[in-house]
Amino acid sequence: MTFAKAELLPPKQLRKQAGTWLKELRAKAGLSQIQLAKILGLKYYTFVSQVENGFGRVPVESMEAWANALGVDSSHFAKHLIQFYEPELHRLLFEVKR
Amino acid sequence: MNVVNFPLGSATEAPDGWRHAELQRLTNACSVYLPSGQASGWELGETDCGDPQFYLLGPAPEQDCILSISRLGRVYVLEDGSGRIILEHDNLLLFAEQAATVLRNKKRAILAQIAAAWCAMREFYEERIEPALAEPVEVISHFASPLGALA
Repeated sequence: MTFAKAELLPPKQLRKQAGTWLKELRAKAGLSQIQLAKILGLKYYTFVSQVENGFGRVPVESMEAWANALGVDSSHFAKHLIQFYEPELHRLLFEVKR
Repeated sequence: MNVVNFPLGSATEAPDGWRHAELQRLTNACSVYLPSGQASGWELGETDCGDPQFYLLGPAPEQDCILSISRLGRVYVLEDGSGRIILEHDNLLLFAEQAATVLRNKKRAILAQIAAAWCAMREFYEERIEPALAEPVEVISHFASPLGALA
């Protein structure tokens, strides 16, 4: 699966974009916020909403679980999220030519 | 930053499914952390099911969510920006008080981190720098040969 490149925006707006993207992935996977939270082992689904609304971030330690729950490749998922959460790190890792 | 005004004594409905009284309590509990720069403001939102959420935001430019407060039915849930549940309560008054305590503790945690870093620096200074300064002849002789080579 290929994902569109994130634009360079302030951190808050990038997180909002990440949230929108995650919401789209969840919709494609046919899951509700409650169902996704259940798969992730969360007691409440409020954190899923927090992330999708662009306020929270998917923690690094649970990126693989999110990717698996959403049915996408975990490596591509993490790489794409870093583009939103840590754009400079993403640029250095994947865009700067050696 | 969203600055939300809540007219006192107005109708019970407020933005995103919150009640004015609830928001007033939550903003009162959180607003003391704005002047110190610990928080830069708050925003409101809701879940897909329409449950209201209140997000306390950290300093700019990141403005990460420090705390998120949600109302699920009668229960208020307080989580941090990583989804860890800090507090669950069905009494808003007690919840707001405990949320304020969590914030105070967070401030203490930051101060403790600074103190720990300062102690580590101090230890490094006492262990490495002070002995070096106490033995000036040794230091001079240590630097003498490279300096001589540069001359």
